[in-house]
Amino acid sequence: MAEAFLVAKDLHKSFNDHKAVNGVSFTIGKNEIFGLLGPNGAGKTTTIRMLSTVLEPDVGEVTISGFSTRQQPDKVRSIIGVCPQELALYEELTALDNLTFFGRLVGLNSRETRAQSMANLALMELEQRAKGKVSKFSGGMKRRVNLAIALMGHPKLLFLDEPTVGIDPQSRNKIFETIQGLRTNGMTVLYTTHYMEEADRLCDRVAIMDGGKIVAIDTPRALKAKLGDPDKTTLEDVFLKLTGRSLRD
Amino acid sequence: MKRALIIALREVKTYLQDKGDLAFSLLLPVATFALIYGAFGGQGLFHGTAYIVNEDTNGVYAKQLIENIEAEDSLDVELLFLADAERKLERSDINMVFLIPADFTDKLRTGQPAELTFMQRGNGGQDGQIVASIIRGIVSELNQEFQVRGQVEQALVGKDVSPQKITVTTWQFLERERKYPLIGVKEVVVGNKPNTVNEFLPGIMTMYVLFAISIGAAAIVEERRLGILERLLTTRLTAGELFFGKFLASVSRGFVQTFILLALSYAVFQIFTPLSFLTCLLISFIFAMAGSAIGLIIASVARTQDAATWIGVFVTMSMTMLGGTFFAIQKGTILYTLSKISVNGYANDALKKIISEGGTIADVWLELVVMAGVFVVGLVLSRLLFKAIPQGK
Repeated sequence: MAEAFLVAKDLHKSFNDHKAVNGVSFTIGKNEIFGLLGPNGAGKTTTIRMLSTVLEPDVGEVTISGFSTRQQPDKVRSIIGVCPQELALYEELTALDNLTFFGRLVGLNSRETRAQSMANLALMELEQRAKGKVSKFSGGMKRRVNLAIALMGHPKLLFLDEPTVGIDPQSRNKIFETIQGLRTNGMTVLYTTHYMEEADRLCDRVAIMDGGKIVAIDTPRALKAKLGDPDKTTLEDVFLKLTGRSLRD
Repeated sequence: MKRALIIALREVKTYLQDKGDLAFSLLLPVATFALIYGAFGGQGLFHGTAYIVNEDTNGVYAKQLIENIEAEDSLDVELLFLADAERKLERSDINMVFLIPADFTDKLRTGQPAELTFMQRGNGGQDGQIVASIIRGIVSELNQEFQVRGQVEQALVGKDVSPQKITVTTWQFLERERKYPLIGVKEVVVGNKPNTVNEFLPGIMTMYVLFAISIGAAAIVEERRLGILERLLTTRLTAGELFFGKFLASVSRGFVQTFILLALSYAVFQIFTPLSFLTCLLISFIFAMAGSAIGLIIASVARTQDAATWIGVFVTMSMTMLGGTFFAIQKGTILYTLSKISVNGYANDALKKIISEGGTIADVWLELVVMAGVFVVGLVLSRLLFKAIPQGK
């Protein structure tokens, strides 16, 4: 693993009596695509919220590029981008206006905002629809705008929380290509998904969470090898073996 | 501060660009005002219907009496058959009917006293009593006319004057008397003459501004549900800036809406001087701040957009009703005591003092202080309650 870019140490977070995250520790190397997997309620979203400074851990420390999320949240926010699972954008605005708005909030000036907005829309093959209202877009286009917003300000670490939910294979493929391209350009990515084949294809390493804890962490191939022939075993087999088959609704 | 302004500017820009939202927020107050203006005839004066049963169908004096009633500006006349009138009275469709008996003209011709009847349900209702009073006045005038003519005829008995000449001369004399009465009555209005515009405009405006702010609160709840507020907190925006940005956005939206409505009123009704217009803008701005603080409390306590909408409707309607928007609240009643909690009431009073009474900012300082107090307390409370994400910042 390359030098540690993100270090999470012994994270704990409770809501009332419920322990959502219970002693989570891991590191993400620079330029790595790291998968965070787990069934519903495993604690993935709470963990990402703590990593992205939205929630403070009850116990534990997170540093990103050497900056503490607790002591230096402004510094941390200046180098991260978050693409949430929800389409957290303004549907009544155009794609360009959405990117411009978030661009200004990450501290870009007008000229930089304009340039980056157009570049990110082009990256997502949406430049022709820059002035179209997001409410008129297809699900796949909205997902791509959601990701384009997260790229404003050229973050060094990108949090992608299930970015491919409910979209067609073409849009999904476009998002994969974009993520791989971003990594080639030096970006570090934390990726959560329920699609195991996505994690297998994209991630250098994955951590599987259950019940607020990390139950396994390694490369997809190494995890599969622990269960049997890595060429015949799937990551989903590993996932079900580690987290069980009971429903988690 | 700069990032809070970015939040506010985006929302105001969206409001001004969204033709549907803009049209609704401006047209609905105008439509409501037009309805009220229509309902009150634009004058605020009484207007009623005189229900008349005329059994003296061919009688000239009955006809003359009905024509005199029809000539009265404040009354419309609806002629009924006796059976219909009795049925309507029975069903409470109407409360008062004026009956002209079959022998009305004959009795007057022969110099006998004729008797008219008011048939009424209960006390005839407030409107019925006013209509009856107006008709009594018309009857009294007609009575005088007959008496004068009768006395003139008696005085001229044995003289060579034709009855037609007596009638025409008497009529001319009475007509001159009506035009140039010996005892006149003049109206002296203290302050600006109360009218529909002055009475209802402030209340309707503040009601819709509070509605808009409540709807804004529901939108904040929806942004929380969609994860937009959480996403905003992963930019450089702090929770405090987010809160302040939302507050500024709400104030700006409310104030822009008020500004446009006041400017329209200025142009259409010409009820302002430049100074009174500016004073009303200041009152509206402080009201928008107080309303926005209340809106943020709603956004903080509501868990769903529907809940926020219903709380907003309840708060707005309570404030509107207690603010004396549609009816005056009498001093000394429980409602009057309750009305003291209505921030709309203070805004309405202040705006009326400026618009109707020609007041200045010195006359509305108390209202401004109360609204500013609501703003400060509301803002502190909403900041304590406001969360961008449940159980988070």
